[in-house]
Amino acid sequence: MADQELTDRVKELIAENQVLLFMKGTPSAPRCGFSMRTVQVLDQMGVEYGAIDVLPALQPLREVTSEISDWETFPQLYVNGELLGGCDIVEEMFENGELAEALGVEQPAAAEPAEAEAPASDEPYKSPPMQIEGS
Amino acid sequence: MAADLNELKGMIEAALPGSSAEVIDETGTGDHLRAEVSAPQFEGKSRIDQHRLVKAAVRERFEDGTIHALTIKILD
Repeated sequence: MADQELTDRVKELIAENQVLLFMKGTPSAPRCGFSMRTVQVLDQMGVEYGAIDVLPALQPLREVTSEISDWETFPQLYVNGELLGGCDIVEEMFENGELAEALGVEQPAAAEPAEAEAPASDEPYKSPPMQIEGS
Repeated sequence: MAADLNELKGMIEAALPGSSAEVIDETGTGDHLRAEVSAPQFEGKSRIDQHRLVKAAVRERFEDGTIHALTIKILD
C-alpha cells in the first residue's frame, strides 16, 4: 500500500507538469543507462520538462507508480497527465514520430532515418530537478 | 535462478490467446530478457497498454525475482 501523502504529491506533480520524467539521477547526471537514453531523446525534442530523481525514495515511489499507473520501473515519462512509457517505448515513439505528436512539437530533423548523429545546437530549457523525500 | 524462456513464452501466449511470443535471453545470464510479441489484443491499444498486457502475463516471475529486466517489442 503506497503512502497516501507521497501518492498525492506525485499526482500533483504529474498534473502540474505537462511533461514530467521520473528518472534515476538528474538530466545532467543520469545514474542509469535507461534514464540517460530517455533524457537524450527528450533533449532532442526541445521541450521543457520536469525531472524527478527517484533514487532518494525509490521503493516508496515504486509503490506509488505501481498503484496509480500500473508501472513499477523507472524511467517513466508522463505527458499531459498520462504515462507514455519507459525508455523503450519512448525511444520507439521517438523513432516513429509518435512522441513528437504526443508532445505537440515538430519531429526534429535529426530523427529522420539513417541520419548521422546531430545534436541540437540549442540546449533545451530544463527545470531544475525536483526532489521527493521518502517518508 | 535462471528464467525458463519457454515457460515465459507459454505464460504470455496463455494470457493473450491467439498471440505469438518469442523470448530471448539478451545477456546470456537468464535475467535480462527480451520478448517479441504479437497479439490480437494489442489492436487499438496504446503502446503502454500493450506493454502492460505483456508484463501482467509474466508478473509472477518479476515478483519472485526470476526476471530483473524485460524489454518488450510489440510486433504490429
